[in-house]
Amino acid sequence: MKKKYAMAYIVDRCVDCKACMVACKAEWHVPDEDFRTHIDTGKSPDYTDKLRLHFLPHQCNHCDDAPCVTVCPTKASYKREDGIVSINQKICVGCKYCIVSCPYDARFFNHELGVAEKCTFCLPRIAEGLAPACVTTCPGNVRVFGDVNDPKSEISALLRDAAEKHYKVWKLRQDLGTEPNIYYVQK
Amino acid sequence: MKSKISRRRFIQGTLAAGAAAATLPSLSLVAGEVEHSTPSGITYAQNWCEMCFWKCGLTAKVVDGKVAKLEGQKDCPSNFGKLCAKGNSGVFQLYDPDRLQKPLIRTGERGSGQFKEVSWDEAIKYIAEKANALKAKYGPETFTLFAHGSGEHSFVDLIHIMGSPNICIPSYSQCTGSRDIGWALTYGKPVGGKEPVDSENAKCIMLLGRNIAEALHVGELQDFINGCANGAYVIYVDPRYSKTAAKSNKFMMIKPGTDTALLLAMINYILVKEIYNKDFVENYTSGLEELREHVRPYTVKWASEITEIPEKDIIEAAEKLCAAAPHCYIHPGRRLTRYGTDTQFVRAIAILNALMGNWEQPGGIYRPVPLKLDQPHMVHDLERVEADRADGAGTDFPIASTDLGLANKMMQAIAEQKHPLKGMFVYGCNPFHNQGSTETVEKAIKASELIVTCEIYMTDTAWYSDVVLPESTYLERYDPIIITSRKSGYIQYREPAVKPLYDTLGGWEIAARLSKAMGYENHFMDVREYNKEFLDSIGLTEANMKKHGCLVGAEGDPFPVASGAEPEFHTPSGKAELFSSMMSDLGYEALPSYEAPPMPKGDEFRLLFGRLSFHTHARTQNNAWLLALHHSQVELWINSERAKNLGIKNGDDVCIVKGEKKSNPCKAKVVDYIHRDAIFIPHGFGSVSKMLTRVVGVGARDSDFTSDVTDPVSGSAGFHNGFVKVVKA
Repeated sequence: MKKKYAMAYIVDRCVDCKACMVACKAEWHVPDEDFRTHIDTGKSPDYTDKLRLHFLPHQCNHCDDAPCVTVCPTKASYKREDGIVSINQKICVGCKYCIVSCPYDARFFNHELGVAEKCTFCLPRIAEGLAPACVTTCPGNVRVFGDVNDPKSEISALLRDAAEKHYKVWKLRQDLGTEPNIYYVQK
Repeated sequence: MKSKISRRRFIQGTLAAGAAAATLPSLSLVAGEVEHSTPSGITYAQNWCEMCFWKCGLTAKVVDGKVAKLEGQKDCPSNFGKLCAKGNSGVFQLYDPDRLQKPLIRTGERGSGQFKEVSWDEAIKYIAEKANALKAKYGPETFTLFAHGSGEHSFVDLIHIMGSPNICIPSYSQCTGSRDIGWALTYGKPVGGKEPVDSENAKCIMLLGRNIAEALHVGELQDFINGCANGAYVIYVDPRYSKTAAKSNKFMMIKPGTDTALLLAMINYILVKEIYNKDFVENYTSGLEELREHVRPYTVKWASEITEIPEKDIIEAAEKLCAAAPHCYIHPGRRLTRYGTDTQFVRAIAILNALMGNWEQPGGIYRPVPLKLDQPHMVHDLERVEADRADGAGTDFPIASTDLGLANKMMQAIAEQKHPLKGMFVYGCNPFHNQGSTETVEKAIKASELIVTCEIYMTDTAWYSDVVLPESTYLERYDPIIITSRKSGYIQYREPAVKPLYDTLGGWEIAARLSKAMGYENHFMDVREYNKEFLDSIGLTEANMKKHGCLVGAEGDPFPVASGAEPEFHTPSGKAELFSSMMSDLGYEALPSYEAPPMPKGDEFRLLFGRLSFHTHARTQNNAWLLALHHSQVELWINSERAKNLGIKNGDDVCIVKGEKKSNPCKAKVVDYIHRDAIFIPHGFGSVSKMLTRVVGVGARDSDFTSDVTDPVSGSAGFHNGFVKVVKA
């Protein structure tokens, strides 16, 4: 079966330490002021009585129906067989349509190279058999990466376990029909 | 081609805990170790991280002679393969053009920033002549040292050679001193730098301002998060809802300065309800009846009024802990330099732990597994100076550590000049930020005739120094192999990933050159020679270390009491001392009482400060990768009601004011979840050194506004009695 790469965040484990952001920057020479992944802070609606802050990582959702791919006039943004949404920087003309079309605010403009940039699921690392840099470094073991079509992968096991134990599992803005491939798991 | 460095643990032999010095048994490489071929241009070098002081094992990936990436060593028990943001940003630090690149000698007024670049020979000769002249004029005790970091022993040994006892490691008086003293008075040994709390297996955890998520020592955080995932009930007590609070089951916002009251009431409640661990307390502690009598006035109702924590929450915390005992702990803290009463605060924590009977129990306090090896000495013929110290450690403060000294009292002694302390050496630390009073530091600097700072950046203290010696960073130097103990005992190896980028040297070589130039004949070993001798003695080679980086040499039972051993305490009574006989003998209160600290008046706030997850001390603020995480903004947390009264809105630029002093602007973070008495700022900002080009003048320097009171038992500093006002910029 074809591979389908995806990532899950076990959000209970995230402490917003931002190690993922810096590991990614180091790995990919991301310009100093930019990041390919972020961590948002959310408040429970009832926080005044029962204060609770949540830390929610985000990055490119590698959508199955990705708006960035749809709008790209040069087909620089494309969906790979293995599920990864990629950018061919050689044919990116820097029009920024993809940046504004992304409902997850996952892309930014690399002023040095004049192209759009985002998370690649660390394609060259996974080709070498390594996990993405953010996964490797995460002190809280928040991030689980793998092939959801492989029942033996860690991510498949996590999602199965989550379903069995009725953990809360969600994706961002599923109402948009983008079919994202980042799972949020809350135990 | 694929290249991977295997860092598999290869020493399977177990050293019995507590065994006498021994060599590693039956050393042999695990069969099946395969050498991978390395793609041309890629090499790997082993190290431990120096971006903070937890010393996570890491491997540097070097591509075409340039460090491309740092990754955690999978099997290093300090971090199990992980690095935090600070650790990952070590690459930026290495290549930061703001680094010190040449030795510098001051040419203008101190603090003018006017220096000339000189050769190492010139810098060393200059220092040697000045130092020898000072020694001739004032005697050897004229030298003081403030040192922190993996290379600190180089300058410690140098100052001993120069004949002065006035050596200070600020991690004692400015950080863990009160904690380790308070704990040792109770249990007979200090907590230690790798806090042996077993978060992973804990059923209940209570943290009093121990902000594990943001202090961020990787191994400690991993254990804590695993503990949370395993279902620990976490009680977090702090005036501020930190990122650790976000992981807690119960956040208790406490009125700052009143933590001891909370603990005493919990102790009283637990004793009255008789829900303590009776077996442990009756058999292995001393002073139960004195304690019971002593805490009688400290009722839950009384504590609730003082701490502003509801009575039911105090009771619930006590009951949750007792229900989980012995698989629970109350964290002894780390930097406990708060109110000048910190030793007694830790005594209360230690006593509460004793009532849980969690000593060497899973989920409680574990016993670090020692790796006892005979290490060579970098300086063979070193005679340690044992004369009385100028800071009062060992005399005015009889149980303060004379090895680590009292950096706070030493700086005051230099400022006051009751003794002619004229030659200040600084290695890897920054008194302008780590002292409670910058006025005292300024006075001390005025009183000094020679100030030498060895650093990688032009810190505020370096900026005021006469000679600045640029050290090679951890990625450019060897250091003596270190031994670390957590639930196993292990050794860690540091080798340069690249040659020094600039005209820098490692601390040991600098100290050796200084010693020689001053005319001392002590022999400093070369670091590689030292490592070789050490490795030879345990049957290992440099190649083993280059391959693995970190090697586990001792495994053992971290919970011997749970396994049936009798608890052992090196206290006068041989028991865990609820009533401290040593304190009684020395004339201190043998049981902790609540002593209210001074409180803010009118429109004043108590200034609290602490770490962000992505900065260490005042060392990393200039790192562009880390600055980008917070857009170079320094947030000042302020309670929403108080802010409203002052007309301050979220995001406003605000300054801290105390008397004539006013800070640089900070961004107001207006929230409900900081106590109305307090404001909070992150530590390490507001530098004045213009060679920290990205952060000079950015944010507030807390040490301009903190208190500098002294804990009467440990001699350590207390910073949190500083009262300030907040105004719009």
